Amino acid sequence: MTRRCCDIETPPPITLDETHVRVGFHVALAGNPNCGKTTIFNALTGARQHVGNWPGKTIERKEGQIELHGYDFTLVDLPGTYSLSAFSAEEIVAMDYLLDARPDVVVIAVDAGNLERNLYLATQIIETKLPAVLALNMMDAAEARGLSIDTARLSAALGVPVVPMVARSGRGLEALKAQMFDAALNREEPCTCGCTPEKLVDYGREVEREIAALQDIARTHPVLRHRYDTRWLAIKLLESDPNILARVSALDGTEALLDAAQAGIRRIEAALGDDSDILITDRRYGFINGLVREVVKRPPLDRHTRSDRIDQVLTHPLLGLPVFAVMMWLVFQMTANVSSYYVDWIDGVIAGPLTRWTAALLGSVGLGGTWVESLVLDGVFGGVGGVLVFIPVLAFTYFFIALLEDSGYMARAAFLMDRFMHWLGLHGKSFIPMLLGFGCSVPGVYATRTLENERDRLLTGLLVPFMSCGARLPVYIVIGVALFGARAGTLVFAMYILGIVVAILVGLLLKHTLFRSDEEAPFVIELPPYRVPSLKSVLLHTWERTKGFVEHATSVILIASIIVWLLVSIPVTAAGEASFAQVDAENSALAAVSRWIAPAFEPAGFGNWQSASSLVTGFIAKEMIVSTLNITYTGEAEVEEDVATTFWQDLGEIGLTFVQATWDTIRATLSLLPGVDLFANEPVDPVEEAGGNATLVATLQSAFTPLSAVAFTVFVLLTAPCVTTMAALRHEFGTKWMAFSVGFMLTIAWLGAVLVYQGGRLLGLG
Amino acid sequence: MSPLYAVLDAIKNADGPVSLSRLGRELDIEPDALQGMIDFWVRKGRLRMQGALPGSATGCGPAGCVSCPVDGPESCPVLLHMPRRYEVVGEQ
Repeated sequence: MTRRCCDIETPPPITLDETHVRVGFHVALAGNPNCGKTTIFNALTGARQHVGNWPGKTIERKEGQIELHGYDFTLVDLPGTYSLSAFSAEEIVAMDYLLDARPDVVVIAVDAGNLERNLYLATQIIETKLPAVLALNMMDAAEARGLSIDTARLSAALGVPVVPMVARSGRGLEALKAQMFDAALNREEPCTCGCTPEKLVDYGREVEREIAALQDIARTHPVLRHRYDTRWLAIKLLESDPNILARVSALDGTEALLDAAQAGIRRIEAALGDDSDILITDRRYGFINGLVREVVKRPPLDRHTRSDRIDQVLTHPLLGLPVFAVMMWLVFQMTANVSSYYVDWIDGVIAGPLTRWTAALLGSVGLGGTWVESLVLDGVFGGVGGVLVFIPVLAFTYFFIALLEDSGYMARAAFLMDRFMHWLGLHGKSFIPMLLGFGCSVPGVYATRTLENERDRLLTGLLVPFMSCGARLPVYIVIGVALFGARAGTLVFAMYILGIVVAILVGLLLKHTLFRSDEEAPFVIELPPYRVPSLKSVLLHTWERTKGFVEHATSVILIASIIVWLLVSIPVTAAGEASFAQVDAENSALAAVSRWIAPAFEPAGFGNWQSASSLVTGFIAKEMIVSTLNITYTGEAEVEEDVATTFWQDLGEIGLTFVQATWDTIRATLSLLPGVDLFANEPVDPVEEAGGNATLVATLQSAFTPLSAVAFTVFVLLTAPCVTTMAALRHEFGTKWMAFSVGFMLTIAWLGAVLVYQGGRLLGLG
Repeated sequence: MSPLYAVLDAIKNADGPVSLSRLGRELDIEPDALQGMIDFWVRKGRLRMQGALPGSATGCGPAGCVSCPVDGPESCPVLLHMPRRYEVVGEQ
C-alpha cells in the first residue's frame, strides 16, 4: 500500500479499481486543544468509538471506526497539544504515536480563526513527512469575524491538502473523508535517497548547513533512514529534543550522528549567539507569521475585539482610575444599603429568640444568673454575635467582588493599579500582595516573596497592612451606620481609598529614603476577555469567602471574646462592692487598663476608655473592635423586649422577619436604580436601617461626634495590624522590621486621626 | 525582526506594563499565537510567569491566618484571583 518517492521498484498507488481486498488504515487526528478536534472525531466516527487510556498514562485515548469505499479506517484521537515536542505528557503521547505507529494519514485539525498558533503544530507534523490533511475547522466562526482564508494558497505553501470545514454542522466532512482516503491510498514512505521534497521552513544558512550534514549521516544508518524523515530528524536533534535524543541513543551506531548534532549545535550557537532550538523555533514562527499574512485577509478592525474596545476606556491611563474608583464606590454603596436588612434580621434572631432560648436552657439547669450565663450571653453572644451580625455585609461585598472578578474587570483593576504604581516609581509587582491585603494582610505579607529584590520585598511588606482588610469592614459599617446613616457606604469607600493613598504616600516616602532600589523588570500582563459572570461561580466564591469569615469568627473571635469578657468581669475599682461577673464594665480590669491609655486619644476626639479598650483588643483581631465596643458600651448582650413567646412562635417570627428582610432587600436593590425609590413613603429610622445592635448604635451616637467617628475609623484603618500579621511580618522580615512596622503604623494612625479631628474642628466641622 | 524575538524585545523595551492584547496588536500577532510564543520564552527561562498563586509565594505562612481552616492558598477564601503576568528574567 505504500510507495517511495524515487524507488522505481515500488508499485504505483493502489486504487479501488485494482484491488477489492478490504484492508485497514490508521488515521491519527492531531490538533491544538479547543480547535474542534473532538467534534471532527465524533462527526467522522459517530457512535463507533472506544474510549480508554494511553498505555501507562492517565490521558484519555479515543479510537473510532469509519468505512470509506469498502476500506476500514481506524481513527485515533491524539491528545490536544500546541507542539510536537517533549515538554508535556500529552506531547510525548502524540509524538510517540506518530513516530511508532506511523499512521497512514494524519488529519491535522486547525482552528481557522486561530491559524497562527495552530499552524505551529501543523508545520511540525508536516515536517515528519507523514501523509497529512489539514482540516480547517470552525470556518463559520472565522467567516463571521470577516476572515477570508486563501485555502489553495495555504495548501500550496504547506504541501498538503487543505479542507475548509465546520465539523459541528457537517460542512466539509465529505471532502475531508475524500482527502483522507486519497492520502491513505497514495501514501509515500520517507525519502531515503536525498531527493527530499522542497523544505517547508527555511531555517537559515547556518542551521540548514548543519541539517544537511546530519541528514547525510542519518541516511547511512539502516534503521534511522527508514524510521524517520532525515530532515525532520536532523531538526529535532538540533533542537535537543529529549524524546528524539533518547530514541536515537537507544540504537546502535548512532554515536557519530549524536556527536555531529552536538558539534552542529555549538557551531550554530557560536555563529548566531543564541540557543539552537530558539533559533529554529524563531524561524518556524517567522514562516508561519509570513504565511498567515499571505493567506488570511482580515477586516481592519478585527484585531480590536469587543474586550479591546471596552479596555480602551477601562484601562485608559487617565479614565481608568476614576472608573475604578466609581466602580468600587458603587460596590460599597450597594453593600451598605442592600445588606442592612439582613443585618437587622440576624441581630434580631441573636438578640431575640437565640438569647431567650439560651437563657431558658441555662435557667433550666440551674445556671441562670450565674457567671456561666454571663459568659455565654455577654461574652459569647455579645462578642461573637456582634461580629456574626455582619455576615450579610461581607457576603454582599464578596458577591460584588466575585462579580467583578468573574466578569474580568478585577484583572483590569490590577493592571491599572500596577501601571499606576509603576508611574509613581513603586514596584509594579507590589500590586499582588497589596491587593491580597484587601482580603487579609497575612497572605499579602507572604505574597511579597514574589519580589526578588529584598528592599522591594520589605517595602511592600510594610505597605500591605495599610490596605483595608476584610476584618476592618464591620468597624466602618457600625460606625458609619450609627453616625452617618444612609451615607455609611461613602465612609466605607473613603476608608478603602484612604488606605491606598496612605500606602502610596508612605511607599514613596520610604522608596526615596530607606529603600532606594533599581528599576523593575519589564513585564506583560494577561487580560482575560470580558464575559458575563457565571452565577454559580460567583455564588461559590461568595460562599467560600463568607464561610472563612464565619469560621474565623467562631474560633479566634470566640476565644478573644472570652478573654475580653474575663477582663470586663474582673472587678478592679469598687472591688468590695462587686464580685466576679457582676461588676459594671466601667469598674472592670479592662476599663482600668484602657483608662490609662485613653488620654493618648484625647487629641483625636475619642479619649474614652471604651474606644481605647476596643483598639487594644483590636490587636488580637480587628473584628474584636466591634465586639469590644458591643461589650463595653452596652455592658451586656442586647436582649429584645421580654415578651412571652413559645418556641414555635419564635420560629415563625424568624421565618417571617427573614421574608420581610428579603423583600426589603429586593426593594433596596431596585431603589439603587436612578429615579427609583421604593421606600419613598416610609419614614427612615437610621438606627433601624442600621439593623445592628440598636443599643450600641444609640450609645455610639452619644459617644462620638461625626468628626470623632471619622477620626476613629481612620485610626482603625491605619493602626498596627493584628497579631497574626505581626507574626507574618516577623517571620518574613525579622523582629526589628516587625517592630518598625508596628511603631510606624501606630504613629501614622495617631497622626492621621489627630489630623482629621483637629483639622475638622479648625474647619468648623465638629 | 522575526516574531519570536520581537515579542521578547517588545516586553524588554516596554515603558511600563503592557497587556497581551495590546502587544499582539502592536506586533500584528494573533493573541493565541502570542501566548504560544510567551509560553516558549517561559519554558526557555527568558520570561517568568506569575499567576494569582505562584506556588508557595502567596501561600499561608507557618502562622496561617490565625485559625484559618484551609490548607493553602488554593483554597484560601480571601485571596483575589489575579491575572497572569510575565516578566523578563534577569532584567531587574
